[in-house]
Amino acid sequence: MQVLIEMKDIIKVFPPNVVAVDQVSTDFRKGEIHAIVGENGAGKSTLMKVLYGLEQFNHGDILFQGQPVRFQDPGEAIAHGIGMVHQEILLIPQYTVWENIVLGAEPVNFLGVIDRQQARKLVQQKVDEFQFNLKIDDKVDDISVAAAQKVEILKLLYRNVSVLILDEPTAVLTPQEIPQLFNELRRLRDHGHTILFISHHLEEVLALSDRITVMRKGKKIATVQSSETTKENLAQMMVGRTVLFQSLREKSIPGAETFVVKDLTYIDGTLHKRLEQINFRICEGEIVGIAGVEGNGQFELVNSIMGLNKITQGQIKVTGIDITQAEILDRRRFISFVSQNRGKMGAAVHASILENVMMTHHRLNPHFTKWNGLLLNDNYARQFTHQIEEQFSVVMDRMDNPFRSLSGGNQQKVILGRELLLDTPFVLLDQPTRGLDVGSIEYVHELILKMKEQKRAILLISADLEELFRIADRILVLHRGMIVADLPTEKTDIEQVGYLMLEGKENDAKETN
Amino acid sequence: MQRKLISGIVGILIALLIGALIMLFQGYNPLQTYAALFNFSLFGLYPLATTLRNSVPLILTGLSASVAFASGPINLGQPGQLLMGALFATVGGLYLDLPAFLLIPVLILLSMLGGALWSGIAALLRKWFNMDEFITTLMLNMIADFFTYWAISYPFFDRNAYSPMTPQINTKAWLPIWGEFNSNVIVMILAFVVIYFVFNRLTAGYEWRITGQNSLFSRLGGVKIDKNYVTVMLVTGALAGLAGGLVVMAGPHRFLKGLGANYAWDGVMIAVVANNGLIGTLLYGLFFSALQTGSLGMELITAVPKEFIQVIQAITVLVIVAGRGYLDIFLDKTLARRKARERTT
Repeated sequence: MQVLIEMKDIIKVFPPNVVAVDQVSTDFRKGEIHAIVGENGAGKSTLMKVLYGLEQFNHGDILFQGQPVRFQDPGEAIAHGIGMVHQEILLIPQYTVWENIVLGAEPVNFLGVIDRQQARKLVQQKVDEFQFNLKIDDKVDDISVAAAQKVEILKLLYRNVSVLILDEPTAVLTPQEIPQLFNELRRLRDHGHTILFISHHLEEVLALSDRITVMRKGKKIATVQSSETTKENLAQMMVGRTVLFQSLREKSIPGAETFVVKDLTYIDGTLHKRLEQINFRICEGEIVGIAGVEGNGQFELVNSIMGLNKITQGQIKVTGIDITQAEILDRRRFISFVSQNRGKMGAAVHASILENVMMTHHRLNPHFTKWNGLLLNDNYARQFTHQIEEQFSVVMDRMDNPFRSLSGGNQQKVILGRELLLDTPFVLLDQPTRGLDVGSIEYVHELILKMKEQKRAILLISADLEELFRIADRILVLHRGMIVADLPTEKTDIEQVGYLMLEGKENDAKETN
Repeated sequence: MQRKLISGIVGILIALLIGALIMLFQGYNPLQTYAALFNFSLFGLYPLATTLRNSVPLILTGLSASVAFASGPINLGQPGQLLMGALFATVGGLYLDLPAFLLIPVLILLSMLGGALWSGIAALLRKWFNMDEFITTLMLNMIADFFTYWAISYPFFDRNAYSPMTPQINTKAWLPIWGEFNSNVIVMILAFVVIYFVFNRLTAGYEWRITGQNSLFSRLGGVKIDKNYVTVMLVTGALAGLAGGLVVMAGPHRFLKGLGANYAWDGVMIAVVANNGLIGTLLYGLFFSALQTGSLGMELITAVPKEFIQVIQAITVLVIVAGRGYLDIFLDKTLARRKARERTT
């Protein structure tokens, strides 16, 4: 098959220093369905946005039909026949189907007035050609999400697009609607269209696509024929079995019970049950890991423990003290917290390093203030920041520089330093190695194990199974807001946990539909 | 700090240059105009003293806006808070009779109380009904406008006057004038020092600053952001109220119609130009005051109307704000480009 698009050594850095796509080379052929798979944050959407001209790349080449191209905006990409359907539906609900489709490229008569007859005829032609089950005079407000998605696709077909990029198109569909979409996509392929399909649902990807490109942490892992691979194979490439970390777990005898969550249920403002009857306990000197596909209640669990959510039911205790109703400051006497999002929850990135280090300590540690807590003790804070710099080997220029001037790894070290020096019995780590390079990950893992030696109770939430297997003593699997398994790490393996994450049950009922 | 100073000076120079081009285009002599402008605002004891006196309401409302914006709340109620502060001080000055060394501080406190009361209403509306202060403070401005208008037209109306105004306040409450210098500047500098100290050295100020940068991070760090929100609203309301009180006590010694002029909106503009920095607010406040003070002289000497100063002000705001935003984007992009290059080698 003929190569239509070739991407060579593409690098995309989000200012100032987040490498989203790291030297990715791949090609897309005419008339194929090509899936791009990877975990959240693997760079698959960014790669497609770079192709579509929505993001500018920093390095590399894109060849379209052999010609180097660099689209400045999506309009240019569409003019070349490349179109993208985004995850969210971007239509005008008050307009009819055909009005939405022609919007921006309306056929006009000699007076410059929209030729409605002609427009409707052209749209109807496209609907017939691709056998889309759509009534072109329906108002978009009245049609289903699946139909609206078809309108989005037709919008591009109307502009004679030959390459369609779909960003997780099945995320908004019900299971019954998915096969229909797939049939339509196959029909498009048979018409000679090229379909690039972003997803992290491996079954869909295997069912639909001809070839699959796997990405992880901004890098391309491989491009494979879907007929020559399996779900397990893809999963391994996605989570990164290739880099075999050796386990750092050591046998230890856990001490007294430190952290207890009892019957925790959380129903959110839209009356969705996000967490249901969560029960677990962590002893001192124990690392408990929580595995799960993102969006299965991890976020809500963290917020419930930290006091950002008011939980509907249940109890949270640290060292026997009930903190279920406590204010956040009172919780912080017992909880060190490292969030997965440094910029949003872990730091004020425009404030100085010094100011970021002081947070929470300024209320809990009397050395940080004078005059009965009224005045900041600048000298002590500087001394303390210096201590973190030494103890956690942070590479920093001046502590008065903005926090964002630090590299990702050093930012995380500063945050870890701040939180660990709070000297609390319980440590909550929400994806503490997210977005870090291998060296920094190693360092963070060693640090976590050191805390374990200090007899602290540790809860580690991670999307990275490698990480959990490397350091956790027990692994809890979170699936749709429920803990579906509680496994001692030495008695399980990545495949079993991976299956539980996806299916919420054990693998013994193999493929019985 | 140095970067801010340089970008500020360069911005002002560019703005003056653009202003000069506009003048040339209209057939005026820019050099002569600028000479007149700064002769009447900076060079000489009297011009300088006038510039300083006029800068007081600009800087105080500017500080109010800067502290609010930098801490999170979008308090846009400085005009109303200024008027309420002025009214409180006026009423106190009409009915209280104390020795000057007591009466002046009492009226200053009263004016701050008036402003804080007005911003406090917005804070309560937010607390009880979750109404955005962005809109409530704006609406309260109008209420304050008409409420003070009513107050000086009926209950506190000077029966000998032909237009809405109050009688003059107790002469013991008049701020002393030393030679050319009005002592309202002393009060302003005191207020600046206090607020600078609170904002940069106190634990509370630290929490305000960090909350303004990232409120979720502060909340997770144990900062009581709701309580701080109310405090910031009260403090910034008090600052704007103080501006109003000083306008009455330094100038006409009575509340007359149109007293608030455009001070508070100019103050908000100054906060925006200064990027909510306190020292920046002080310096830009002085600069804008110099422009406004000199405009009268400029109109006297040259044919350029004093309204032209508003053009200069607007250009300064645009040049400095745009330049600052561009500088940050430019530096970020340079860093990203360098990182991408590192990857390839």
